[in-house]
Amino acid sequence: MLQRTILLTGLLLAGTGALDAAENRLERVQKDRADVTAGGLWVYNDLNQGFAEARRTGKPLAIVFR
Amino acid sequence: MECRGIDDQLVRHDPKIQSLMKEFVGVRVVQFNGTDLARFQFDYDQTFAMFFMNADGTIYGRFGTRSDMKKADREISIDGLGKTLAAALELHKGYPANQSAFVAKTGPAPRFSRPEQYPSLKGRYQATLDAAKPVQSCMHCHQPLEAERKMFRAAGQPIPEEILHTWPMPDVVGLSLDPKEKAKVRRVIPGSTAEKDGFKAGDEITSLGGQPIISIADVQFVMQFAKTPARLNAEVLRGGKKTPLMLTLDAGWRRVSDFGWRVSSWDLRRMATGGLKVDALAGEALAKAGLGADKLALEIKHAGEYGEHAAAKNAGFRKGDIIVAIDGRTRRMTEAEWLAYLLTKPAGSKIPATVLRGGQRVELQLPTQQ
Repeated sequence: MLQRTILLTGLLLAGTGALDAAENRLERVQKDRADVTAGGLWVYNDLNQGFAEARRTGKPLAIVFR
Repeated sequence: MECRGIDDQLVRHDPKIQSLMKEFVGVRVVQFNGTDLARFQFDYDQTFAMFFMNADGTIYGRFGTRSDMKKADREISIDGLGKTLAAALELHKGYPANQSAFVAKTGPAPRFSRPEQYPSLKGRYQATLDAAKPVQSCMHCHQPLEAERKMFRAAGQPIPEEILHTWPMPDVVGLSLDPKEKAKVRRVIPGSTAEKDGFKAGDEITSLGGQPIISIADVQFVMQFAKTPARLNAEVLRGGKKTPLMLTLDAGWRRVSDFGWRVSSWDLRRMATGGLKVDALAGEALAKAGLGADKLALEIKHAGEYGEHAAAKNAGFRKGDIIVAIDGRTRRMTEAEWLAYLLTKPAGSKIPATVLRGGQRVELQLPTQQ
């Protein structure tokens, strides 16, 4: 019984940590999107739109994987 | 500067970069799901990578190099990025008259066209993000590389050198390139193949393997996909004059590369060592342990605690142990050499190991896994 309680507590703590990490990452991604798109220079996470824009303007693409 | 720093300046702050970026259509990609692997081939352990392309898909060049998870400024700088951006614009101005020069900049056909098609990723990830779980459904760039290695491991085959020692730095053949330039030789390592090939400090590499070169990442791309052994045509600017050279890639040239910094190396540690991160002892620490400079002395810096990463810990290995023999071998190895050796062993093996713990020799068995 004790072992099961310890295991469950451990799993819950691990799960909480994973959720916190995911939430932090989501916040960072949302902030990144807001920052990047605010300047109007960047297409965010849409390669098709980027290629269409490059065809329309005749400019080359600078694609960042981050 | 860390990659985060260069990324920040690229997006917002550096006026020179901003001015150059106005000449491009900038696209920021923050997920790897659905990525066209035939088109976007780069070092998937990078946390920052760029492509410069024509709207028709032609690749002018790449940017983004590192060989250390903490010291990114060894190979990347905002100055270097600025010069590469300017060079990409020049190549674009010459297009399409120069089109044929870029054909080989798209690499060979990959095993799968999309990352989520790899067996170990299939079903876990989709081509698009799950709006309800954007973080959990987001695939990272290094995951297809890990998936590729897993395929060989699962088939009981050795992991090919180009996937294990992937995207080596030009340093492994003796070329130390300046991160503040496009692809300028900062130093030629004495006794190296590059020195024998005639490279000199100050040479600006403008072409390699017939491809225009505008970054260190471009040099790495040519080397990564060269069929070796090889003699690659090179052209450098030396004192303002175009100078033809050859760059030799001997058989096994990759094996001296250190891949321990890579995110994807954690999965190699799981496979090869049951989750151990080790560092080769040197200097005083080596003497303190009473070991000679040519002897195996790998200190366990981390022993995984969960799932398959805990296999070594469960087999009795402890943080702080010094591994002095593995499978009867006692000669000195780096962590990358030790991982590469252990990966020659089939999954499910128990490799005899001797560790020093508190001055005592302890005999253990290291588990390898699929």
